[in-house]
Order: sequence, then structure tokens, then C-alpha cells
Amino acid sequence: MAKTGMERLQELKKDIYKCIHCKACRFAYSGEPDKEGIGEYTGKQGTVLYEGMVDACPAGIEYGWEAYWNAGKIWIARSILSGDLEFTEEVRDVILPCITCGQCSAQCENKVRTVDIIEALRAACMESGVPMIDKHELVDKLVKERNNPYGGAAGERLKWAKDAGLEKFINNKDAKIAYYVGCTASYRQVEVAIATAKLFEQLGMNFTLVADEVCCGSPFFRVGAVDTAQELMKKNLEAFKNVEMVYFSCAGCYRTFTIDYPKWMAEDEKLPFKTEHAFELVARLVEQGKIKFKPNKELKGKVVTYHDPCHTGRHFAVDMEQEMIEKSTNLMMDSRKIKEAIDAWYEVPRIILRKLEEDVGIKFKEMYRIKLNSMCCGAGGGVRAGYPEFSIKTASLRCDEANAVGADILTTECPFCWRNLSDANETYNHGMKVMGVLQMITEYNLLEILEKPSVKDFTIPSIRETMGDKPKK
Amino acid sequence: LYEKDIRKFKIQYLIFQNNNFNIIKSKNCRLVNGLEIMSYKLPDEKDLEAMIGIVGKEYATNNKAITAGYLAKSVMGLESQIPDIVVRPKYVEEIRKVLIYCSAEKIAVSPVSAGLSGGFACPTIKPGGVLLDLGRMNRIIEIDEDNRYCIIEPGVTNGQLWSYMHKYHPDWAPPIPDGAPPAATVMGDAIDRGFSLYTSSVGPQGDNFMCGEIVFPNGDVVRTGSWALPFAKPFYKYGIGPDMWSFLMGSQGAFGVITKAAVKIYPHPKFKTVVVWGMDNPYDMQDLTLEVAKQEFGISHHTVMVQGGNYPLVMARWPKDKIPHDYTFYKEMGISQWWMNWETWAQTQEELDYATNKIDKMAEDFKKRARSPDAIVKQELHPKQIASRMKKPNKIAIPYSFWEAGFLFITWYTPWPECAHFADMYTKKMEEYGFPPVIWIASIERCRQAICMPIVCFDSTKQSDLEKVQELNRDTTEYALKQGWLNYRPDPYIHVQAYYQAGMYWKYLRAFKKLVDPNMIMHPGRLALP
Repeated sequence: MAKTGMERLQELKKDIYKCIHCKACRFAYSGEPDKEGIGEYTGKQGTVLYEGMVDACPAGIEYGWEAYWNAGKIWIARSILSGDLEFTEEVRDVILPCITCGQCSAQCENKVRTVDIIEALRAACMESGVPMIDKHELVDKLVKERNNPYGGAAGERLKWAKDAGLEKFINNKDAKIAYYVGCTASYRQVEVAIATAKLFEQLGMNFTLVADEVCCGSPFFRVGAVDTAQELMKKNLEAFKNVEMVYFSCAGCYRTFTIDYPKWMAEDEKLPFKTEHAFELVARLVEQGKIKFKPNKELKGKVVTYHDPCHTGRHFAVDMEQEMIEKSTNLMMDSRKIKEAIDAWYEVPRIILRKLEEDVGIKFKEMYRIKLNSMCCGAGGGVRAGYPEFSIKTASLRCDEANAVGADILTTECPFCWRNLSDANETYNHGMKVMGVLQMITEYNLLEILEKPSVKDFTIPSIRETMGDKPKK
Repeated sequence: LYEKDIRKFKIQYLIFQNNNFNIIKSKNCRLVNGLEIMSYKLPDEKDLEAMIGIVGKEYATNNKAITAGYLAKSVMGLESQIPDIVVRPKYVEEIRKVLIYCSAEKIAVSPVSAGLSGGFACPTIKPGGVLLDLGRMNRIIEIDEDNRYCIIEPGVTNGQLWSYMHKYHPDWAPPIPDGAPPAATVMGDAIDRGFSLYTSSVGPQGDNFMCGEIVFPNGDVVRTGSWALPFAKPFYKYGIGPDMWSFLMGSQGAFGVITKAAVKIYPHPKFKTVVVWGMDNPYDMQDLTLEVAKQEFGISHHTVMVQGGNYPLVMARWPKDKIPHDYTFYKEMGISQWWMNWETWAQTQEELDYATNKIDKMAEDFKKRARSPDAIVKQELHPKQIASRMKKPNKIAIPYSFWEAGFLFITWYTPWPECAHFADMYTKKMEEYGFPPVIWIASIERCRQAICMPIVCFDSTKQSDLEKVQELNRDTTEYALKQGWLNYRPDPYIHVQAYYQAGMYWKYLRAFKKLVDPNMIMHPGRLALP
């Protein structure tokens, strides 16, 4: 039987009590004071000094009170456990405007699992009878009625595939590989879904689009609506039970299937299939020399930067780290191996971007805060739905950072990040083009296959699972 | 008589702390058995309205979900409690109005620069009241390379100042503390007499502060040193007469709110390294270090940070069950049981080589006088290790919570030639109480003082561990005070014994407090002041 939020909070008690309130978690690069930067840049959201460590907790930056910075929330959790504080609507309103980007977790020297704590805190808050905020209530209602938070009709979920001539992949019974599309790419950023499916088709992958797919539950795990999330989890596990491998184009869905499902499933249950993000496959094929990219006049010379989605970046990195810590018997000796595994993980999308630079002629330029120190786009943790203004302002802060390096194109690998960054780009006139990396490959017809990938290429263990001797899930 | 008096005072003091903060609106002071017993008003909605009237509704709250975020029961003290109201002022005048109001209403006020853990100066303790979060006052006002000072507000963090000076004043070392985390503040460190980057050479950070601006609860805004004159630069600490600033060093916010300060800056030379010598006992560490420091001129001034410790200092940074406890493992890694680091700065490579070679020669020569000559060995560091040790601000002090779940720095000053005695005593006591014997020692002003910091790593989820920590603290305090050692960051619940022995000094501290804080509203309980 699944766990309650309060049980999870109790499980995390030792983590909570490890927090010494040092507040290093407010910064990106809290351990790199001498990091060379680009100096001050004044963008749409004000002036930021991109040098050494930089404030990077979106809720703290927005609201200012200590309670909104991560350390404050950990001490709220501690007050709840010690009985100094009870769950109220006031508590809810402080713990909800957190994007759960995990920047804090990445900075913490005591390895406090901050995102897990905040999610458990939210779940326990809801269990205590504190109502959801109205905007979350609405998406909860929609997902219960229609299996997606956008309120789209079930029959419309795969309309994009039919429109794009990809109907043959719908409920393709022969396939042992599935593409889990997710709600945002199905109902909003259909470009991402089309680009990913067409890429798979071009590569010769025999895959299925599962018509019974429902929302992965990510927003509901994040905001504490764990019952809703677990209902969705059960439906997906049933719908995908006959496949061996599931591919994703959404960072959030990928994280939810890979990290959350095993965490919230019963102790004796295991995920019945392997999971991988499409960019991992593309990076692998680039490294194997099986694919390359065609030159493109329109893209040549364009400055392209990359936003690491928190859900594929930090959340996986921290999860990887926690697992390696758990396995270790001498952490001092193993710490370098952990760092190497995390570095290698962040290189995966960059393998593609560097190849694009080499073959296509784009100029790949990194923003100041990248990889483990990447600044969030502002969409996650239920914040885009619950606190849209704050969410877009955060995305605009990230767009400022892209502007600061002169980016023409801001890429990412998550439709939810794409949506938020794109909205901020338009709302605040940042003047860039926002797109997914795989979307760029498909839309500009960049893919050139040198050697047709085999079935094995599509189903070998994820890069992530072979790093640092990480055991397979 | 001594033991008896201490016990008596402890009982009185505990009664005072625990039972006598009556929440009343009338005059807030009465005498009980010769002790001043204070009463404070519990702030209510009307008081919140007053605070909102001063700073605006976005910057004052009694929302318990928000005020709970200011708890910090770790690192320096374990008794923090949730404040009743938090106010986030931006301007001096706002602070002045808040203090005048709270003084009139007998509401306790605890100022927090922006950090929370350091110095135990920050968290609100009983009886709660208003917490002033000065994080919005975070301007770096001026950096003057010729007069060699920078002027900052209280909310300027180490990370913020480092980034700024690294970019725009790279030849000058930001005046931040050594070893404090990036979110700690320059001001918080200074008023707690903390470290600078060059404390082993030039003295504590408090000595680097030139002039300050302070708001007292009586409504006065006072500028100290040369700043007392309206048109003077902050160039002379002793200004136009007796130095008032020093009264505030170590005050932990018990007198007023410092709103601006000028702090000296020193060059940040490019030629830097760390020399390390290992030994197997604290006495050889102490004596060799003293021989180098007593040179006073030359190499002694080059060695900006001289700090050492024992191998558990390395061990306790990792989870208890994921690191070998036996010394053999550390020996194989080339880590001595005790060691001393000399971080050395020089303007040229020649100067640097001279200083480091001289330390090496002195260490070789010291073997003749050492208790354990064969254990005196130079530790050759990899360039990455050197870079890591010189990184500032750093997170070096943070991961001691990783051992279990919580730690406490119990810090003392001793004369340098007594630091080995302190280390010997304390490590034995820590083991007796079941804690790993972790200790860090550093030189202040060329070994004029030692700062000795046992790091008690424990499991703060267990009440029994918390009680054991406090008992260890009490036990060792009694011993240490008999040796004439001073507690650095006094815990009002434990170190009251120290004030009891310094009655006359305490009398004048109280007199000064009454002058500037007539209703004793600032940080009640701190420094054992009512």
C-alpha cells in the first residue's frame, strides 16, 4: 500500500534535522566563489551580477521572507514534526510557491533531500484537511474527470498524431517500445510530440503511442495531491504493462515515471519497463557515429543556448547521488565517482548540441548558471498553475540570462519549460526563439542517418543507468 | 565556596530564564532576591499594525508559517524559538521607529543581519518578540581602494561581497570571514568578533572595523570613530575620543542595531599557498606554531590563516556509517593525527618561497624540541587541495551534520600556549560523552590567542543526545573557566557562569545597556543581560 505524506515526512526526519540553516542553498555555485562570469547584466527583471555565486531560489527571490527560501521551509517541516506548528492555510500558502527545482538540494553539503521534504510536507498538509488552493483544485478536478490537467477530451489526446500522419503508431501491438507523450505535448506543445515521434520514425523505431495513456501525475505529486497522483500512476502502469521500454520527450513525465513511481509504489513492486528520454537515445547514436546532422543556412551562425530542465537535470542527478551514497561504504573514496557520474549525466544533451555546432554551424553558448547550478524556468512544482505571475517572472529571469549571452535561440528538452520560457519570451519581449533540441532537429530536417540503428540501440540500458555502477531500476 | 556559588547562581538564573518572563503590559522590571527580573509584552495585532505603519504591510507579519522559518537550533545554540512578529526594514529611520515603539511597549527585539546560524547572535530566544530581519539592507555602499575600506549594510552576505569584489576590485581581498558559509554576513561576523581572511596575521574581524552607525532603542542614531563628525571619512576607528565601537563587538545585538559599517580591506595578492605540517599530538602542534608566530615580523605577517586540528575533523564530515573510524585509514592517506596549515600570502613568488621555506626550516629544527620528533612530517598537498583550502567563502564548516543529524560548535578562547591543554581535555571529554573528538584550532594575531572549537556531532532527532550535548557543555565550561579560558559565543543558558565571575565588568555592561536601551528590549538574555 502506498505511503501517506506524513509517513514520508517521518521517513525524512533525519534529513530535516540535518539542516543547520546555513542558507548556502540560496545560491547557485555556492561552492564556487571564484567562478568567472560575465559581470552585471540588466535585463527585463532587473540587474543580476553573473559572477561567483548568484541567488537562485526563485521563491526566495520573489517573496523575500526567510520562510520562502528553502532553509526556511525545512525549518517549517521541523516545526511541524516537533509540534511547534500546525498545518493551516497559512502554512500551505508558504510551502506551495516553491518550484521544487532542487537547486537547494544540489547546493546542500549535508545532502538534505529538500524536494522530497517539500513534497511530503505538501502531501501531509493536504491530508490534514487543509484545502487545495482554487487553481490547484481546478486542475485536480479536471484530471479526475478527463485524465489530464488541461481539460482536453480523451479522444483528442492523440489528435496530433493523426494530423501528422503518424496514426499507424497508435496502439501498435507489435511494438515493445512506447513513446509516452504527456499532457503538455499532447494538448499544448504538439510540436514537441510531432518532432519526437517523427524522429523515432526516421530512425526506424517500431514504437507505440498508447491510447490509454493518462497524465503522469507529476503536478499532483508536486503539490501534495498524492491520492490523485497515485490513481494516475496505477492507470499508466496498467496501460504500459506490455512494453519493455518507454521513451519520453517531457522531463517532468520522465522524472515522474522513473523517480516518483518507484518511490510511491509498494515496497515489493518494481517498474515493469525501462525508461529513457529521447535525447539520451539521440546522444547515444551521435556518439556511436550512427547519425550526424546536415548543414543549415538558416541556423548557421545563430547563437544557441540550452536550458537544463530541473526534472531531467538536477532531479536525476540528486537521485543518482542519493543512490550512490546509499550503496557506498566509504563515501570519502566514492565521492569523486559520484561527481563524475553527475558530470557525465549533464553532458548527454550537450553531446547533441556540440554535434549541432560541428555539423550545422550553430554557435552553442552556455548561460552562466548551468547543469547542477541551472536556474529554474519557473513552471514546475504546481507553480505555473497556482502562481502564474511569479512563474512567468521566473521564466523571464531565465530568459534574461539567455539574453545576457546573446542567444538567438533558447533550447530546452521539456515541453513544460518550453511553454513557460516561450510565454515569458513573448510577455517580456526577450526577442529569442524558444524551441526543443529535438524539435530543432526535426523542423529544420537536420537528421542524417549514417548507419540504421538496430532494435538493440533502442532498448539498451539508459545512459543514466550505466553511470557510476548505478543499479538498474 | 566557588562551586556552591555557581550552583546557586545557576538555579537563580534558570528560574529567571524559565519562569519570570511574565507577559504583562506594566513596567517591565522588578527585583527578586537581588536579580533584575524582566517582563515583556507579547506583541498583539495592534503592535503588528504599528509595525506595518512603519515598514508597510509587505514587510511586517505575524503569520506563524512565515515566522517559523526563522528558527535555527544548530551550530551555535539550541534554544531558538519562533518570533511573534518579523519585520524587514530597509532604512535606518524605519529601524529607529521600530525600536522606539518596541521600547515604549516593552516588546523584546532581536536583530538578524541576514544569516541565521553564526555566533548564536541571531535566533530569537525566550521571550520571543519582534525579529528584525535586516536582509533587505544589503547595499555595498562604497569601496575605497586608497583609503582601504569598504562600507556595507548589515544584510551584505559573504557570497555577495565576494562576487562583487572579485569582479570589480580583484586586487583587494573582500573583508569576509574565513570559514563562514556564503550566506553569512560580514556584519554578523564582525560584531561577534569573528574571523577575517587574515585573522592569524592582523587580528579578529572586529579589529578591522573602522566606524559604524548604530540605532539605539532610546531613539539615538550614533556614528562612531571619525564618522562622529559629519564630513569625515570612516578612516579612524578611535575618532574624536574614547572608542564606543568596541562596546558593540561581541554584543550579539544586545545594545542596538548596527546599520552601516566601514571595514578595512587588504590586498589580495596572486602569490598564495598553504604549507602543512603534521604531528601526532596537540602539544607539538601548539609549540611549533608558536615558534613561527613569535617571529612577529616577516613570515608571521605572511601567514594570514594559521589553523589546524585532528583527523576526526576530516572523518566527521561524512556519514557515521560510511567512513572508516580507525586512524589507520587516514594514516594511509597521509593525514597526520594532528596538523597545522599555514595559509601564506605574498606579493611576489620570491617572498612566498622565502616564507614557506622558512616555515619548513623551522619545522625541521623544531624536531629537536618536539615531544614526538618522528611524527613531525610535512604534508605535501596536491594543487587541488591547496586551491580547495584557499577557497573563500567556503562550505567547510557545514557538513558536520552529515555525520548524524546536527552539530554544535562550542568555541573558546585560550592563550595560545594553553590550546593543547584545552584540546587534550576536550577531546577526552567528547569521547567520554560518546561524541567523536573533533576539534579545530586557529591562531589569532600571530598566536596571541587561540580559538579552540570542538565540533560536537550528534543526532538532533534524539532528545537524549541534546541533553548529553548540554551536559558536556556545562561540564567543560566549569573546567574551562577554572583555567581562565573564555567562551567565545556565550550561550545564555550554559555560559552564565562566565559572567558570574566577571561581576564588575558585567555591572558596566549593564550600565551601558541601560543608557542606550532603557527598557532592556534588545535581545533579552544575551550576554546574561536581562
